[in-house]
Amino acid sequence: MTDTRRAGLMLIAPATLFILVGFLLPVGVLLSGAFRTDAGWSLGNFVEFFTTPLYLDVFFRTFRLGLTVTAVAAVLGYITAIAITETSPSWRGRLVALLVLPLMISPVARTYAWLVILGRTGFLNTALQTVGLTDEPLRILFTETAVFIGLIQLFFPLMVLPLLSSLENLPRDVIPAGRVLGASWFAIFWRVILPLTREGLVVGGTLTFVGSLTAYVTPAILGGSKVLMLETLLYQRVSVANDYASAGVIAVILIAMSIATNFLLKRIATTRRAAR
Amino acid sequence: MAIRTTTLATLLGGLAAAPALAQDLTISVYGIAQDEYREALYEPFEEMCDCTLTVETGNNSERLAKLEANAAAPVIDVIAFSDAAALEAANAGLLAPLDMAQVPNAEDIYDFAKDPIGGGMALGYTFYATSTVAVAGEAQIASWTDLLSDGVVDRLALPNITTTQGPLALYMIQRALDPEAAEAGDFTGAIDLVAEHRDEIVTFYERSSQIPQLMQQGEILATAIGRFAWPGVANLPVGAEWIIPEEGQSGGLNVLAVVEGAQNVEQAHRFIDYWLSEEVQTKLAEMGADSPVNTGVELSDDQAEGLTYGADMAEQIHFLPPAVQIENREDWLAQWNEKVAR
Amino acid sequence: MKLAGHLFLAAVMLFLIGPFVIICFAGLSAGESLAFPPEGLSLRWVIRVFEIESFRSSFALSLALGIGATLFALILGIPAAYALARYDVPGGEAIRNVLTAPIIVPGIIVGLALLRHLVIPSGLGVRLALFLAHSALLIPYAVRVVSASLENLRPDIEEAAILLGTSRIGAFLRVTLPNIRNGIMAAFIIGFITSFNEVPASLFLTGPGVATLPVDMLLYMEFNFDPSIAALSGLLALMSLTVVLVAERLLGLSHYV
Repeated sequence: MTDTRRAGLMLIAPATLFILVGFLLPVGVLLSGAFRTDAGWSLGNFVEFFTTPLYLDVFFRTFRLGLTVTAVAAVLGYITAIAITETSPSWRGRLVALLVLPLMISPVARTYAWLVILGRTGFLNTALQTVGLTDEPLRILFTETAVFIGLIQLFFPLMVLPLLSSLENLPRDVIPAGRVLGASWFAIFWRVILPLTREGLVVGGTLTFVGSLTAYVTPAILGGSKVLMLETLLYQRVSVANDYASAGVIAVILIAMSIATNFLLKRIATTRRAAR
Repeated sequence: MAIRTTTLATLLGGLAAAPALAQDLTISVYGIAQDEYREALYEPFEEMCDCTLTVETGNNSERLAKLEANAAAPVIDVIAFSDAAALEAANAGLLAPLDMAQVPNAEDIYDFAKDPIGGGMALGYTFYATSTVAVAGEAQIASWTDLLSDGVVDRLALPNITTTQGPLALYMIQRALDPEAAEAGDFTGAIDLVAEHRDEIVTFYERSSQIPQLMQQGEILATAIGRFAWPGVANLPVGAEWIIPEEGQSGGLNVLAVVEGAQNVEQAHRFIDYWLSEEVQTKLAEMGADSPVNTGVELSDDQAEGLTYGADMAEQIHFLPPAVQIENREDWLAQWNEKVAR
Repeated sequence: MKLAGHLFLAAVMLFLIGPFVIICFAGLSAGESLAFPPEGLSLRWVIRVFEIESFRSSFALSLALGIGATLFALILGIPAAYALARYDVPGGEAIRNVLTAPIIVPGIIVGLALLRHLVIPSGLGVRLALFLAHSALLIPYAVRVVSASLENLRPDIEEAAILLGTSRIGAFLRVTLPNIRNGIMAAFIIGFITSFNEVPASLFLTGPGVATLPVDMLLYMEFNFDPSIAALSGLLALMSLTVVLVAERLLGLSHYV
């Protein structure tokens, strides 16, 4: 027993030590900087961050956009995933490949495409005006809407794929059974599908929410300085003002939000299952 | 005599780098147009001095930070900065006064470049104008405040306060409102005016390369940019024009300085002198790399198109004094963040 | 109902894939600036991409980084995943948390932390720092994907091999490894693509002439405005498409994402 334990430790040690020294140590030192001011250890940097109106705005905007993106992705994701399960197996494979494809393409390329589409004379505005839906070109670029669209496109596959895999694990006959018993689609979704696919939703929700919070390229290109998010603010504070105190605070906030999301959603998934 | 472009890190660590020969020189410059610089300046200088030139590149704030970190054991001999960054470095004791006797070519540069940050600490090597640009016939810009007038403001991009151009644009808007306050570095009026139109303004740009795209896509009709960004705008099919409003135009000056405690002070001066020579300044200007400060440089109209060239041009520029910038920057940023950015 | 479902799927796929089609066409523009529809079609910007020196060197760096860091992450990650799956390691849960920690930390913080507290104090080269950062970011993927394959592999075939007289290492190399080969290949592809597309962590880890391809694209966009970025984006999209199609056919990559 002790021998296999030692063998196990030896196999694990290199990776663990590498992460501890090469990764967690520098990150830890950076984060600790958030808790230090000229006067020594203190929460002063946090107080200053949360009393600066601009930073508060950025904080809430990041949070709000993350929630909206996750909620919209979840609703559309369910419809998509259910629609995919109803296609033939060969189509299912193709559709999944199409979902995976965007994940493999550079976020810079993905975001850049939206510049061409969302502009004043871009594809979308031209189309809208041609159809006659709008008279004036809509201003989309450099607004929260543009960032929202970019983020949805970026993270939608990460929502659909886990939902799809948990939908595929559903017993084959639950939905027809519900239909036979006369339940409405909504009732079937709410009472059967949602509880049974909760885990997929939690995985997809975590990936989407945390991904949106920590995206850099999308808000940088599509939002610009009028739609700062925590990650773009961090870059600006460091590269323009050498302000490592604020950078540290933002880092702490982002990591705390990521961990809290992971933890909370995992709790939700498991407690509900236990209660059932 | 190959030029070794080392990473910031090796320079900083110093440990890994071989000890430099007494004659060798390490310089720190902006990352732009390095191919042109190599051809017009670095390689000829290496031929001349029979030494090796090591080049570090980066923007103002990151290079200033490294300079500060290495103050005890400097690795850089000559550094290129914006005038404001140079003054900041000088105030922190990171620069050494220049010995003008060793820089005879400084006689031939524009007066405003001769001692831009005071104390004989630096010499200007290039300058640029910052003014308004608009799509011809679509936006009437007679004054800087016209940028914020109806019909223009909702198709306007202004430089963000965090860019070098940001304070320059605010300075000129403030000059239009109240020249005295502008000279004192009080931009409250300008910032309030921008804040009032905050939602209408398309964006506060952080990279002047965005401007051609925004203008070509019809996103904006007007903006304020540095002359170095003009070539990208000038040839757009929409037809943009460089407009100098009645208050004139602003601009910036980049300077060269010797680092305090530099290994090779004499060679550093020789390098600065060579950079300011008519020969090098002409070559760099002809390549479109930098606008000349040497008064002897003669350029054709074509060559001058992307540059800020000539005594007349220099005359019209209202430089924002570096001391005013340093003194007020925190205040501008705080006001901007409170009123505009949120 | 069925028709509505199909229409909805078509709309979703258009939203996901359409932008790439548009960017590909924009990259084939004959005009000077980025636009859709493009002003005529030509290959001039595609050719231009290959002429830009910094794209060539950053592509080479990204390629080397993607391969090197992924291999390194696998070399460290496979034994760790194996030990977590097969041995009763003390503090296993804590160690698993450490190994997956890099996923929780936003990339931009990784880059800044490594620059400030590893590169600057130690005089480490930027390339080495990029390698470290990417390796650390990829280890969680390696551990996760390999763990998933190991869970699907019954431990008793390995035990059987040991009972038949093979050493533990021999059993691992000859029985376990071939059986999780697809998982490792999948981990390699996912790792490579993650590294190749990584931006935030690499943003601060640049030096003169040293930048990964996506960061170099962002830098290029700072100073230039022409369809070459669109052309390059299109080329990268096509490259990814090829990798995904091949990988999907060979491995069923989508099971691991």
